[in-house]
Amino acid sequence: MSERAAPPAPAEALAAALTAEYAAIYAYGPIGVRLSGAARTAARQAEAAHRRRRDALVLQLSTAGATVPPDRAGYALPFPITDRASALRLAVEVEERTAAHWRAALAATTGPDRDQALDALIDYSVRATRWRRTAGVDPVTVPFPGRPT
Amino acid sequence: MPLRMVLTCPVARGRTAQRIPAPGHSRRGLLRAGGLLALGAAAAPLAGCDLLGGDDEAPKAPDPLRPLLDEALTLATAYQDAATAHPDLAARLTPIAEAHRAHAGELARLIGVTPPSSTPAPSGAPSTDPDATLADLRQRERAGRDAAVAACASASAERAPLVGSIAAARATHLEALK
Repeated sequence: MSERAAPPAPAEALAAALTAEYAAIYAYGPIGVRLSGAARTAARQAEAAHRRRRDALVLQLSTAGATVPPDRAGYALPFPITDRASALRLAVEVEERTAAHWRAALAATTGPDRDQALDALIDYSVRATRWRRTAGVDPVTVPFPGRPT
Repeated sequence: MPLRMVLTCPVARGRTAQRIPAPGHSRRGLLRAGGLLALGAAAAPLAGCDLLGGDDEAPKAPDPLRPLLDEALTLATAYQDAATAHPDLAARLTPIAEAHRAHAGELARLIGVTPPSSTPAPSGAPSTDPDATLADLRQRERAGRDAAVAACASASAERAPLVGSIAAARATHLEALK
């Protein structure tokens, strides 16, 4: 009973992940502006990873005949980005939040779709750890990446 | 004639092996031998028969997540031992040891067992060389990550998120050891 009720349909979970990817790509705009050097390069690479998954999801959902949620012009940031420190803090947050959406997709998927979700969860969790290190946050890891706290 | 032999022999042998005579013979033989060793040997084929005969799923097959739980405990001990041997690394290693212990706790809850109070000892004490210790931890962590990734692929819907988080955590530990 509960097993049927708990996980959303695969398309629903992937659509939620897509919305998270849109927001992540949006957030890396103001993040990148406040960073320089290696951190800025890392932000560009992270943004590219989110764009890759966005593109793959759009293709995947439309091929499956599922509803593709539209991108929005803007997304509310959890706090204002005013300097390097707040930019790094948001970068950690963005990676953890997108990781959480992919973690939720694990329950709704099987086979290659689940592999894809796990790959994203791992990728973003590792990026969050790298951002913590750049920001000087200690410890650089969390016990359960992507788990809602 | 040779052709008939080829065709009939395997069939006949297969039947005698599977049905009455062979088990009867071996049991009687074993009882006559009577030693502890023989009894031990007899137990295995009998257990095998039970597994094939009964369709009951109940006979406690080990939980598929059990190896992951044991591994989490072993990893926790390995990190803790390394932190004790190398106080300079403790700040880095202790949170990871705690994470592995937290994983073990959650896995035990999911499986429905109480986590063992005595943690299994990892093979070998940590090296006196910090670099070698870190290299050893990296190797263990990599194997652990791969095991968790494999376990996530075959986990049920309700277990997959936790196992996925554990796989991701182990990947971040590798990053933290860099």
